[in-house]
Amino acid sequence: MKLACVVHRYGADIAGGSEAHCRQLAERLAAHHEVTVLTTCAKDYVTWANAYPPGRSRVNGVDVVRFPVRRPRRLKVFADLTDEVFDSRAPTERQEAWFRENGPETPALLDHLRAHGAEYELLLFWSYRYYTAYFGLPIVAGRSVLVPTAEEDPAIGLDVLEDYFKKPAGFLFLTPEEEELVSRRAGTRLAPAAVIGAGLDPMPEPHEASAEPPAARRSDSSIPDPYLLYLGRVDRNKGCHTLFEYFEQHLSEGGLDTTLVLAGPAKMPIPVHPRITALGFVDDALRDALLGGARALVVPSPYESLSLALLEGWNHSVPAIVNGDCAVLAGQVRRANGGLSYRSAREFSAALDWLLAHDREAHVIGSQGRAYVDREYRWPTVMSRVDALLAEVCRRSR
Amino acid sequence: MTTGDPAVSVDSIMSQLQDRVRARLREELLQHGASPALEDPRVFADVERVLRDATSRTAARALLLPELLGDPATWRLEPALAISSHRGALAASVIRGMKQRVLMPVLRWLFEYSHDNFVRQQRVNQVLFACVQELAIENAELRRDLAALRK
Repeated sequence: MKLACVVHRYGADIAGGSEAHCRQLAERLAAHHEVTVLTTCAKDYVTWANAYPPGRSRVNGVDVVRFPVRRPRRLKVFADLTDEVFDSRAPTERQEAWFRENGPETPALLDHLRAHGAEYELLLFWSYRYYTAYFGLPIVAGRSVLVPTAEEDPAIGLDVLEDYFKKPAGFLFLTPEEEELVSRRAGTRLAPAAVIGAGLDPMPEPHEASAEPPAARRSDSSIPDPYLLYLGRVDRNKGCHTLFEYFEQHLSEGGLDTTLVLAGPAKMPIPVHPRITALGFVDDALRDALLGGARALVVPSPYESLSLALLEGWNHSVPAIVNGDCAVLAGQVRRANGGLSYRSAREFSAALDWLLAHDREAHVIGSQGRAYVDREYRWPTVMSRVDALLAEVCRRSR
Repeated sequence: MTTGDPAVSVDSIMSQLQDRVRARLREELLQHGASPALEDPRVFADVERVLRDATSRTAARALLLPELLGDPATWRLEPALAISSHRGALAASVIRGMKQRVLMPVLRWLFEYSHDNFVRQQRVNQVLFACVQELAIENAELRRDLAALRK
């Protein structure tokens, strides 16, 4: 099949969740299909400033065509527009203005879709919230597949989405909760659709990887045992401010002693506390070592369409503690039987205490998480779901 | 290990932990003077359920009260600052430019502090709207059930 993958940013050095999902899928699809990625020249997800040269290139064996962003994101205008459209019944044109300001505004990409969209058998669009998918998909709606990466945040409540979600010819969802959310917004069951998640390569069993106990394997990182691990960008949008508050409250109110280790770039101030250790960006080897020794992985994010960090933790048989107010995280943990969830500081503390005090059971919970990843999120499983969905959409669109 | 027969049931652990947290919270509320009605754990559980349901239904478009409150200009918080002027076109554009380029950078910290608090207050308002709505629904259902019993 001749396929196009349309995404707001693309590159081996881009860490965003939906961008990485697109890249991983595009690279695997390219093994059996003719794949072209249509994207922008942007690298920075805040400003969308042009950083890559426009035109054709090849990234990890995939053809990429980049289009320039017309202008950087106007942050003040965007913030004001966000306030306006999220807390009132803003008219359609103001809601569409929000998608335009959210960017990256790339009219040349839309022109390409108008001129050459018919040359592709199917076009896959990532993340409905960005200009590229919101304005691009309707141009080729009959041959489009949307990967919405929808979260239960205010954007999903915008009125214009009811019609928008009825346009794609097919859907690839990351979780059943995301499918339910988007279907609810569309007001109808969306078909054809598949819940694919994301693929992971198996890690060696902990005892195969090393005969050493976990504490010895991480000794060079000088982290005291036990520790709770947070993986990813340290950011308010990821619920980190609440995590810090709950964690400090846990310790000050007599919870079991432990250290919170943060492995990821900081985008907000981190409290100075003897039991909070921020490592900043860590390489894959240290990341694996940290996962190998963690008592639990914490995912405090209020909004997720799929947590790759959670799957990564389970891939290392680490039990999870997740924000139970996020339906996706709570659903993943319940289906995997792989962790505990919390909805308040007290529940966070109780869950953490329980995992610290029940070493054997915590290990079993982590192993249950790994069994879930083995069952649902290995690449052959994911790609067979993707291929089946694409074949079905293609058959229907002929 | 199979999914049908997990060695450790997360649901069961969660249920025990939540019960323990709820019991401790109830004790503390009572110690601090909460209504004696909460001494009954079943009443407490029902109250918690109603309020929790409400806090999960705070989307602005899912609320009835804003529709009944009338002109939004009389009650709606507006976190976004619209810079405007009542003067003629030329003077207005100069004044708006001054406000945007001179005053706003100087007052940015104050604006952001106020903006964050407005956003929090707006969330609290929506939670309260949702709580009132949830209680009104419960009340309406109870009235209907009562009317049916009286027949």
